Formats: sequence, structure tokens, C-alpha cells
Amino acid sequence: MTDARERLLQVRNLQLHYRTRRGTARAVDGVDLDVGRNEALVVLGESGSGKSSLAKALMRLLPRNVARYSGQVMLGGDELMGMDDERFRSGVQWNRIAMVMQAAMNALNPVVRVGEQVAEPLRVHRGWSKAAAMERVVETFAIVGVSRDFVTRYPFELSGGMRQRVVLAMALITEPELVILDEPTSALDVLTQASIMNVLKRIKREQGTSFILITHDVATSSELADRVALMYAGQVVEQSDARDFFHHPAHPYSKLLMDSVPRLHQSEPPGYIPGEPPDLIDPPAGCRFADRCPSRFGRCSEDPPAFELNGERRVRCWLHEEGTDHDG
Amino acid sequence: MNSRLRDFRRLGWFTLRRVLALFVTVLIGVYLTIVIANMGGKVDELRKLQIRSTVSESVRADPSFSEMDSEKRNELIKEQVQLQIEQRNLDEPFIWRSFDYLAQAIQLDLGRAEEMHSDTGSRAVYDIIVERLPATLLLFGTANLLVFFVSVYAALYLSRRYGSRLDRAVIGLAPSSAAPAWFYGIFLILLFAFVVPVLPAGGMVAIPPPEDPWVYAGSVLEHLVLPVIAMFLSSIFISIYSWRTFFLIHSSEDYVEMARAKGLPSNLIQSRYILRPTLAPIITNFLLMLIGLWSGAIILEQVFNWPGLGTLLFQAIGHRDTPVIIGGVVIFAYLLAVTVFMLDFLYAILDPRVRIEGGEQ
Repeated sequence: MTDARERLLQVRNLQLHYRTRRGTARAVDGVDLDVGRNEALVVLGESGSGKSSLAKALMRLLPRNVARYSGQVMLGGDELMGMDDERFRSGVQWNRIAMVMQAAMNALNPVVRVGEQVAEPLRVHRGWSKAAAMERVVETFAIVGVSRDFVTRYPFELSGGMRQRVVLAMALITEPELVILDEPTSALDVLTQASIMNVLKRIKREQGTSFILITHDVATSSELADRVALMYAGQVVEQSDARDFFHHPAHPYSKLLMDSVPRLHQSEPPGYIPGEPPDLIDPPAGCRFADRCPSRFGRCSEDPPAFELNGERRVRCWLHEEGTDHDG
Repeated sequence: MNSRLRDFRRLGWFTLRRVLALFVTVLIGVYLTIVIANMGGKVDELRKLQIRSTVSESVRADPSFSEMDSEKRNELIKEQVQLQIEQRNLDEPFIWRSFDYLAQAIQLDLGRAEEMHSDTGSRAVYDIIVERLPATLLLFGTANLLVFFVSVYAALYLSRRYGSRLDRAVIGLAPSSAAPAWFYGIFLILLFAFVVPVLPAGGMVAIPPPEDPWVYAGSVLEHLVLPVIAMFLSSIFISIYSWRTFFLIHSSEDYVEMARAKGLPSNLIQSRYILRPTLAPIITNFLLMLIGLWSGAIILEQVFNWPGLGTLLFQAIGHRDTPVIIGGVVIFAYLLAVTVFMLDFLYAILDPRVRIEGGEQ
């Protein structure tokens, strides 16, 4: 698959189900993902498609009402799912996988100076001295574009964009192999968004970090993406190279989604997808997109497996059963 | 360091302004009490009447004046009454004297009691109150500290085991706090002083008080058990319940989630990410609880015959002993002001947001 690049993360059949009052919600339902080294994978999806749950499942940030948490997660050859919590906490979390959470605005402790918070993973996980850790903080601040004076500031003294950069610095401080970004820019204005995306691109180029960028924003994500995974109702329906995905989407949902993105100099109004995503508690038996799909046919009442196209592309749709490209 | 100096100057400024504001608050509170306890001067009329009747009675009862004709005797009574009224400044308008009272009260010159006296025989209000203060502080200090630390600790524990059987049991018991402490006190006295007589029914120390200081302390401890249990029972479950909810809310903050994602050990998360940001409200709650329970002391102290301020105030109200009532309020107002000042100060130290916004920036 990603033979061109060394494979870093391999996720197979990941499941994360929640117990709710109405039944079991299958937020992540059999997800397969691959991320290569120095690669940015964009996970696209509507609200409620399970993309944030996917991030939580990878970081093992589980709420209390987990009904099922299973599958296989390989990080650089190490199987993570079987690891006990203590080893995962001290060895993987922030050492190898770091994360920028959604709502990063409140991700900083209001009563601790930001420098200390950013330095914390080094101090706790690697036992660095305060002076050494602070030095690294200043270096990392420089990478994300935060002045060294901010080290001794408190979060409330920082603007939203600065806080976001600080949170990003916190994710980069241990030089992890993989950084998961969960909607990192959704609370920011367009200009700040653009400058954060530029920082991410530079870090990827200069430090060789891999990213999983989780977002609903097709336009912003296209800047960073090497590959795209599109989620729908807890499943990955298409996973392709970014160029292919944005120019020749394969899954009917991908096509409709790309049509709904407004473009500059476009004469006709952007399209929309009628209907609503299915309930994660009792998803339909066959293809989950069938109800809203314009090209549905008989087979769609059965659950489609992921079909491989040209080796690089996986599409969960019966239209691609023979591996032939119905596109066009 | 320059910023440190700036911090100090800010803190000094802040302190000065807070002290002034609190002083004005105490002034107003005490003045209102003086006016109310004197019923806006109406109590003076009562006092004048009282003086007139005592004087005329004593003059009439005195055999040396029995020969005097009534004209002259009335003259004498009038003179003596006038003398006493002037002695107590009752001829001046109340509004003037109210300010005198205020000035004295603020200087903790609480005057002399009308009827009551301390156990050592002093009639100075200050002595009367200070004599009772340690008893109240001992009882309420012990009970409140116990309730506070047990409930915060238990709440932290339960908030991590939210929804467990133990958690639900504690929540189920929360309505037990609907009954006041004295209500539990009555049952405790009945059970442990009469049905199974293992503990004393009331008072603060055995009668006669033991000579040996260790035996004395033991006896006080023994007398302390039932009232403390009564107070503990009446507030522990609701206290755990509310702290648990408080910690649950604060442990779902984004920065706590972030700390978990960072893979920090759970005791560090608890101390730095849950307790530290919430320290200010926790301490406020603690100090306000200390103050708040003073008012509830009257009945509890009566039930346990505890010689504290609650009992004193109760007696003073019964005797219409205005100086003692005012004295009690003055001390209370001062304690309240000191507490609030300490709170402001602690807030400034604990919470950087207050520290900096409180300054001149």
C-alpha cells in the first residue's frame, strides 16, 4: 500500500462503542487506517461521523461508558491495543503519539504558566531538569512562532491564535512520531487558520513528523493532506491519495461531498446531500450511505467490504466490486 | 526582578483598597446593629423609665426620707433621676450617642453589660465575650475541619468512581442533611447518655473541673464527642455530594482531558489539574462555612448546654442586654471582615487571573 514510504501506523478493524440510554452507539465501527512516516492523513467527516472518537480511540482517551474497544493498532511495529494502561501511559502517550485536542482554547490549565505546561511531558516522561526542559520549550516556541517572552505568561494573557500555537508546541515538545490534530483550527479566524496550517506544513517538511488531521473542513485540509480518509457513520468509506480524492473521488459520498464545497469562480451553486446521516445506535444493515445515495442498486442492502483500487485506494462501495473504476 | 517589584506594588495597592472597603463595611454593619439593638433610641425611653422607678422606689423605701413632705421628696427624686440620666448621657439625643457608641465599638471598647457578667464576675462586655469564644471555636472548629477534610477527600475519591455503588449510596444519603445538627443531637444524647450511658449529656467539662490539665483535656474531649458527631452527621453527606459534583464538573474541563492525553500520572492530574485551579472556590467555601455555622450555634449549644457564644447571645437577647448583643455583633463583624480579607488575599495568590486584573493594568 504505502510502500513508497515506510509505514508508521497501521489500524485494523478498530471498534469503539459507547453505552447509551438508548443502546450501543457504534462511534468507531471497524476502521482501517494507514499512515506512513512523514505523511499527513486527513480524516474527513461530518459532525457525528465518529472522527473525534477515532482520535480518542487511538490515544486511549476513553470515556466511562465504553461498551467495546477492540481492534489492532500497530505503531512502528509495536502492537498498542494489548499494552496495559500503565505502559501505554508512560511509554506511548505523548512520547510517541501526541495530540492537539478539539477546543484547544481551553486546553491549557488556567493557573499554570504556559511554559511549565508545555515542558511538563519532558519533565514527567523523560525526567528532564527544569532548565533543560525550558530551553527546549523556547526552541519549540520558535518553531510554532511564539515569542520566548510568553513562556512565563498565563493562558488568559494569550490570544486564541497564540494559545493554539502553544498547544501545538506542547504536542511537538517530545518530538513524537505521530501528532493527531483534532479540529485544530475550527475555532479560529481564517487568517489565523492559514498561518497555523503553514506552521504545520513547515514542521512536516523540517521535522519529518506524521500527522493525522481530523476535520470537516475540506478546503483547509487539502493544503496539508497527503492522503485522505473519509468517514461516514463510524466507518471509513474511502481512503485515497489526496490528489485522487480531491480530483476524482471514488465513493458516491465523496463525490457528493466534493460537489458541496464552494469554489471560487464557480457559476452554479454548490450541491448538497439530501437526507441525514444514520443513527449510530442502530445503523442500517447494508451500506450505511444507501439511503442518501443517488447510485444505489440491489447490492446496497448488503454491507460492502473495502475494495482495493489500483493498490493505493480503498473504497467501501459495491460499485467498485471488481476493482474496476466506475468513475467517469 | 522588575516584575516582582511590580507584583509587590500591585499587591500593596490591592491590600490597601481592600482594607478600606472592608472597614467601611464593618462600620456600616456595626452602626446598623447599634441602631437596631437600641430600636432607634426607643430603648433609651425604657431605660429612663427604669431609672425613674428604681430611684423613686429606693427614695420611698429609705426611712431617712420618710419624714420629708411629698413635694420635697418628689423634687429629690427628680434630681436624682436627672443625675443618673446625665451620668449615662441619656439626655443627649440618641443620634449623637449612636456615633459615640460606634466609635467605641470600632475600637473594641465594648462597654459594660447591663445585666450579665462573666464567670469571673467582670461586667465588661469584652471579657464576657472573650470568655466564651474559645468554647465556640473549639466545638465548631473541630466539627467543621472534620466535615471539610473528610468530605473533600471522599468527594475526590467518589468523583473518580462516578456511578459506582458507593457513589450512589452516598447520594442516596444526602437528604439526611435536611435535619439540623441539634436534631441529631437530641437523639444522640438520648442514646449515648441515657439508654447506653457512655458519654456525658451536656456541658463542656465534668463538674467540678479536674485539676490535672491532662484529665481536664480528656474530659473536654469526652464532652466534645456527641456535639461533633451531631454536626458531622447533619452535614457530611450533603457536603460530600456537593463536592463530588463540583469535582466531576471540573474534571471534565478540557485541560484535564488534555492532561490525561499527555499521559500524566493520575495523582499529578488530581493535584495540578483538578485541585489547583479549583483551590480558590474550595477555600472560599471553607471559610464561609466557618462563619456560617455561627448562626446555627444557638440551638445546638442550648441542646448540649455548651458554654459558647450561641448560648451567650441567646441569654443576652432574653435579658435585652444591648451592649452584649452589640458586642457579639462587633466581634462577628470583625471576624467576617478578617475572613473576607484573607480570602481576597488568598485569591490573589492562588489565581493569576485575579492577581493581575486586581492591579492597575
